[in-house]
Amino acid sequence: MDSVAELLAASLRIATPLLFAALGGILSERAGVFAVGLEGMMLTGAFAGVIATHALGHAGLGLVASAVGGALLAAIVAIATVRFCADQMVTGLAVNILALGLTSFLLRGLFGRGEAPIIRVTPLAPLPIPALSDIPIVGPLLFRQPALTYVGLALIVAMFVLLHRTRAGLTLRAVGENPTAAFAGGADPLRVRAVAVVSGGALAGIGGAVLSLQQVGTFTDGMTNGRGYLALAAIIVGRWSPAGAFVGCLLFGATDALQLRIQGLRLPVSSYVIQMLPYVVSLAVLAGLGRGAKLPSAIGTPFVRR
Amino acid sequence: MLRMQGISKSFGPVHANRSIDLEIPAGRIVGLLGENGSGKTTLMNVLFGMVAPDAGSIVFKGRPLTGHSPREAIAAGIGMIHQHFMLVPAMTVTENVMLGWEATGRWLRPAAVAARIRGASAAYGLGLEPDARVELLPLGAQQRVEIVKAILRGAELLVLDEPTSSLSPPEIASLLGVLRRLRDEGRSVIFISHKLGEVLEVCDEVIVLRDGQVAGRAEVAGVGRRELAHMMVGRDVGAPIDRVARAPGDERLVVADLAASDAAGVERLRGVSFSVRAGEVLAIVGVDGNGQAELAGTIAGVIAPSRGAVFVDGADVTAGGVAARRAVRLAHVPADRATTGLVAEMTVAENLALRAFDDPPFRRGPWLDADAMSALARERIAEFAIRASGPGTAASTLSGGNQQKIVLARELGGRPGVLVAEQPTRGLDPGATRFVIDQVLTLREAGGAVVYISTELEEALLVADRIGVMYGGRMVGLVRREDVDLSRLGLMMAGALQEHPDAAALYGVRAP
Amino acid sequence: MRAALAVLLAFALTALLIIAAGKNPLLAYAALVRGAIGSWDRVGVGLNKATPYILTGVGVALCFRAKVINIGGEGQIALGGLAATWMALTFPRIPPIVLPLLALAAGAVAGAGWAAVAAAVRLRRGVHEVLVTLLLNFVGVLIVSEALQGSLGEPGAGFPQSPLLPAATWLPHPLQGNDLHVGILAAVIAILAGHALLWRMPFGFRLRVMGASVPAAVYAGISPPRTFLGVMSLAGALAGLAGGIEVLGVHYRLIDGFSHGFGFNAVAIALLGALNPVAILPAGLFFGFLETGAQAMQRAVGVPTPLVSVIQGLTMVFILSAMGVSARRPRV
Repeated sequence: MDSVAELLAASLRIATPLLFAALGGILSERAGVFAVGLEGMMLTGAFAGVIATHALGHAGLGLVASAVGGALLAAIVAIATVRFCADQMVTGLAVNILALGLTSFLLRGLFGRGEAPIIRVTPLAPLPIPALSDIPIVGPLLFRQPALTYVGLALIVAMFVLLHRTRAGLTLRAVGENPTAAFAGGADPLRVRAVAVVSGGALAGIGGAVLSLQQVGTFTDGMTNGRGYLALAAIIVGRWSPAGAFVGCLLFGATDALQLRIQGLRLPVSSYVIQMLPYVVSLAVLAGLGRGAKLPSAIGTPFVRR
Repeated sequence: MLRMQGISKSFGPVHANRSIDLEIPAGRIVGLLGENGSGKTTLMNVLFGMVAPDAGSIVFKGRPLTGHSPREAIAAGIGMIHQHFMLVPAMTVTENVMLGWEATGRWLRPAAVAARIRGASAAYGLGLEPDARVELLPLGAQQRVEIVKAILRGAELLVLDEPTSSLSPPEIASLLGVLRRLRDEGRSVIFISHKLGEVLEVCDEVIVLRDGQVAGRAEVAGVGRRELAHMMVGRDVGAPIDRVARAPGDERLVVADLAASDAAGVERLRGVSFSVRAGEVLAIVGVDGNGQAELAGTIAGVIAPSRGAVFVDGADVTAGGVAARRAVRLAHVPADRATTGLVAEMTVAENLALRAFDDPPFRRGPWLDADAMSALARERIAEFAIRASGPGTAASTLSGGNQQKIVLARELGGRPGVLVAEQPTRGLDPGATRFVIDQVLTLREAGGAVVYISTELEEALLVADRIGVMYGGRMVGLVRREDVDLSRLGLMMAGALQEHPDAAALYGVRAP
Repeated sequence: MRAALAVLLAFALTALLIIAAGKNPLLAYAALVRGAIGSWDRVGVGLNKATPYILTGVGVALCFRAKVINIGGEGQIALGGLAATWMALTFPRIPPIVLPLLALAAGAVAGAGWAAVAAAVRLRRGVHEVLVTLLLNFVGVLIVSEALQGSLGEPGAGFPQSPLLPAATWLPHPLQGNDLHVGILAAVIAILAGHALLWRMPFGFRLRVMGASVPAAVYAGISPPRTFLGVMSLAGALAGLAGGIEVLGVHYRLIDGFSHGFGFNAVAIALLGALNPVAILPAGLFFGFLETGAQAMQRAVGVPTPLVSVIQGLTMVFILSAMGVSARRPRV
């Protein structure tokens, strides 16, 4: 029982970077722009977070920097796809490649002397909430998490409120479903999409910082290692809803946590097969959903004003 | 209340609006009548700010409206109910009403808006349920969502674009009642339509558009149907082109109880039967959207019918797709020349081989025979006088008329037995139009059977031996050219008259 | 033309980055060029590097022609290398010329199969091919890792890799003293065959029509699903072949992670080559030489190699934007 709770707690912790990225991706996708660039935005955020914290000495500033980093990369996507109608999926891939090179390059170029330096940052410690964290079972699971995990959970609710209880969210969703109708109703689809993509990038950047500042404590080349794509899969699995995406992220977090523990258990199943789980599972779920998946109707099609 | 002056708008070579002047007083329902392509929708899109005009001015309630987007039009008090509803299907009525409406504030208050929807719904007899999801509502109800949106935002001028095109008769009656109530409150309504009957029933005055210009205006009280139909359709038919009267031969194309749905699953073709004989042209007229596209698609094999059969020269090709049609030499000129009939990036030669590339002579073993394609292309270019610098020119560089010549050269060059032509002269100048008609008549002389679908009544009369009228997915009239009465045809096209509703009986064709 | 401009712009922006890192861009680019083509040795290495890029680039370009976005290169290459390794290790008694050819063929089949799986999921379940090929990349790479732990692995090595393959399977070096292996021939053949296929064969005609519009394809009597499956399998076969060539020509063993980044580079190369097999030759060479030159640039001037990815990413963004703008212009 204890180890199950521990496993769940670890899953939640590991899922947090994915969660931020997925929430950011939801903003972009529900406004009608594919969020394939999440991987690059996370990576940029991870890098910016570590660098800023190291240079300025304060993790809070590092978080701000990570959001800015993710947003800047997202701005490239926004300009290319919304303004110039570039293919959304391939542009996302392009910025991922760009981010990979840019972060590794700047790491060496600005700080090392041709070698990859190791910048150590004190990881953000878990923040147990007094009293609540002593509740048996639920306590350690929910209330002895690092600070950013709490923020992430709160963000799920905030995202839901934004999308479904504010006019801005309504407009965003309408632009993703039928931009012409939104336009006829008085909205500006181009502006809405651009804002959605950039804010989504900021969130993804913070997700990267969660990885580098909270979990690992340093930045290494390509450290996101496909998490951005997993976030994308989580969005689809969760049917583009914040709560659903959270479930997807938790699922991936669990397989990751499971994999670490299984290696200690010396089960007959190879660790590589366990590592495959998130991808196979998401493929299976996506395939199972089939064409019924309710993706935003206007996603992928640029809006051109005549 | 509204004055539009000198409005002009062109889309490439198409002049949708040619310096149109329009005046709408307060408290009236004004009908804007015209056929497809007369420019009605473009004019209203300009008014509403969805399309920017090339020239002209708009003054609404004493204030000018320029360079505006729908947001400003709505704020000024104009509401538009589009032909293809501007609604988000996945959202509820309330959400759709709140969309883009700044007065609802930053935080949505669906309960308050729902109450207002119920209030307006009761006051105008709209019968709307605020929490229903739009995609589940019948089309008539969806339209009323658009209406309630306009009303709640304080629209003083409502523009309805072809509002009855997807409504059943009782829904139409209730809509007209709503419009009268709005008019009695002092609001004005612009009622865009091609349907004479309804325009005469509900409008106070009517303005007729033809070919992008105003063709006439009248008070409804003082004008008759025939006069209006005449204004819509144009001059009387001029001298017909030289046509040899022929006794038609054997049946070459037989269509039995064909039915099909569009991409959204709505049944657009509701059971059509007819046959066409050798040496005969059957022109099918009617306003666009009454099932002609589905009829052509099912006959030509690009759409699978939900019911019915197609026979060419006795062979059942219903299930065989495009391949079966080609095997029996059925040619097809599609309505969408630019993206379906041609591949713009490919050369003239490749486009001429578009449907036959996998057979000899174009294919030799595993290779495409470029020389054979070129040679044939040169032949066709000469035969059809296509103005292109050579077989290797990209199709996109050619004019519309020459592009259509490529399509015709391909489809007619192989001496087909049956031809299905959809809107073959759309967007073409008179010279190119005449060429197309000549080609069709030549095929007719040679014993081919032609189904000629057009929205241009005049043109249909030039080529046809018989004319069929499509309305609401059915063939509502089928007459020989000698027996044609222009105004009656106009009425049939407008759905106001039905003659020979079951054409199958005429030819004794039985559905299998 | 557009590609050249995009590349120049990318280099210009990257120069700014180099300055920010405190180095001289002119010196850096000079070292880059020297490292890429400064000697016959370097040219040979560069050509080797370009070979898999060209192969996969042609496949991806053909897919793009039909508006199919295939990003599964990494997984397809990985499994291709795996199949080739398996073949080479399991049948050492097959005569010398035949064995490497069979191994390469096995690689192609494995790659084609993996791509067909992605195609099937897309066709039958409606999941977009981008996501399917992406996810299958990870799975494919992990399958290789798994295999290296088991029957194909070399126990005792510090790193997951297979045992050294028998010398009979190694791709020969045609030039004395130069690292260049005959795989470059496969790349050239792929370019020529790809060009012929696209422009002179019925299948290529189908691809081009389908890429223009699906209704036009139906009108022309083409079956979109069958064409989709066909072009994906073809691209997979080319990628699998590239994987086999990497194993038999460069590493002489299967190394964990050898396929890293190939899939994305293939997309970039296809775009750079304007989806034209013939233009993919210079595009692939560009990428290959860029990478070899970058290593020299790092050694000589201290400019880190990841710069290459920056250039690639920027180039892609510029080309994509230009493509978007020209697609927006209405045609008659």
